Amino acid sequence: MILEVKDLSKTFGGLVAIRDLNFVVNKGQIVGLIGPNGSGKTTLFNLISGVLKPDKGFIKFNGMPITGLKPHGVCQKGIARTFQLTKPFANMTILQNVMVAKMYGSESIRNMKQAREECEKILEFIGLAGKSSATAATFGLVDRKRLEIARALATKPRLLLLDEVMSGLTAAEMEEAISLVKSIGDFGITLIIVEHVMKAILEISDKLIVLNYGEKIAEGTPQEVVHNKKVIEAYLGE
Amino acid sequence: MDRWKQILITGGILALLALVPLTTTRTDLLTWFTFTLLYITLSQSWNIIGGYTGQQNLGHAAFFGLGALSSRYLWLSGIPLPIAFLLGALVAAFFALVIGFPAFRLRGIYFVIGTLVLAEILRIVVDTLLPRALVLPSKLLSTYSLVPRYYISLGIAFLTVAAVYAISRSRLGLGLMSIRENEDAAETLGVNTQIHKLVAFLISTFFAGLAGGIYAYYSSAVQPGYLFQPVWTFDAVIIVFVGGVGTILGPIIGSVFFVLLQRLLSLYLPGGMHLAVFGVLFIIVVLFLPGGLIELMSKLRNRILGGSRLN
Repeated sequence: MILEVKDLSKTFGGLVAIRDLNFVVNKGQIVGLIGPNGSGKTTLFNLISGVLKPDKGFIKFNGMPITGLKPHGVCQKGIARTFQLTKPFANMTILQNVMVAKMYGSESIRNMKQAREECEKILEFIGLAGKSSATAATFGLVDRKRLEIARALATKPRLLLLDEVMSGLTAAEMEEAISLVKSIGDFGITLIIVEHVMKAILEISDKLIVLNYGEKIAEGTPQEVVHNKKVIEAYLGE
Repeated sequence: MDRWKQILITGGILALLALVPLTTTRTDLLTWFTFTLLYITLSQSWNIIGGYTGQQNLGHAAFFGLGALSSRYLWLSGIPLPIAFLLGALVAAFFALVIGFPAFRLRGIYFVIGTLVLAEILRIVVDTLLPRALVLPSKLLSTYSLVPRYYISLGIAFLTVAAVYAISRSRLGLGLMSIRENEDAAETLGVNTQIHKLVAFLISTFFAGLAGGIYAYYSSAVQPGYLFQPVWTFDAVIIVFVGGVGTILGPIIGSVFFVLLQRLLSLYLPGGMHLAVFGVLFIIVVLFLPGGLIELMSKLRNRILGGSRLN
């Protein structure tokens, strides 16, 4: 068990974003997190990564409580995330973007030369090797998403939260993205993926968790979940 | 550029600058040079927090003033000059530490206004407590020479540029730039943004304090309140933006350009009008040339060399 979420709740004013949420993620799993718009998926990511503080409940990572840590602290413990709306360091080069993550993340490397070598390997893996001296401002959507993942990987995470990295991709780009995510899983990195593209998430995930109005309405293998009555209702209405 | 070439060019420029007082005794020329070097120090110090870290501190004059006032008192009370400079800079940095915690709770425009207000409060306090001009004792006045002033500003300007250069190529520099580019992303990738902003602020204000020290040592008579005037902040900001924000060479080129234009304009324009010219220039640069003169120069160079890229 790498992640344990217990009785987690978060409200914004009167709006309940997450209500009494409980689940666990095992080491090496790829967990898909799905649910209609506004069901609390991104809020959950913000709670795990320390951007938001829960009102109630706790989150344990490798058995250690991480609730209350700031985002940089959570990152240094080994949890990385990407943002649905990419946040590149626009006026820095791609290499510099990834270097920041490498030199500040968990197991950070302080030596510039060593960090650069590691980052070049990551850019090679992600398919940005030829563009390492371009600035992020020149990147289109697909490359920005790649960069987002490259930076997250450079922090050397044990758990990676991917927030809609496949939205807006063409069918061919999607195939690439799916195999990329799978190979990240092969490195032994545990993944939680938020995705609206059903085909992708069913293909990748070992387990699905379905949220609706901030509550977990189903959990199980993709086959179990897609035949779950509550899930069908949540997506299609009664 | 190749490393040895860089060292050679830097060494050559330093050697030439070191020879200046030996080749001329014209005080106007020496004053120009001294002020250019003072402005390099001041603008480069602002560049650390404003240019690299992206925190537009408009209270920079407070740290210049604190450094100037403290080092002047210490120096005149008999403390050796280098130690007086150092302590003056530390006073400035200490004040930054005190106001840094509350100031960095503010983001964006609130930080800008907050620092501006803090500096103005300090200026009014100093003006009220120390209304009289500080004049050098007659013993020092009779032996006053520009030459040591020139060398000290050269030494401190070099130190400041070297420090900013080292920071810009280090892990710290990457962390600071990532905050400028996107604070949330920086935090998510492991950068402790609060601590980093504070560290940048301390380094920046330390060098601002040294710049103040240069001025305190240079001026034979000065009104304490003048040392805290917002003009020190805005000169630095204009120089950095006109020269090239967040670059090493930008503040240097900007300072040379600024002092040259300032002196030329004040010859031909009625008093104070040169400020209006700089204001217009600043707006033009921000709107049409966000990279500053340094970008303009590399664009021109590329055009002249037929599009071959040098940097």
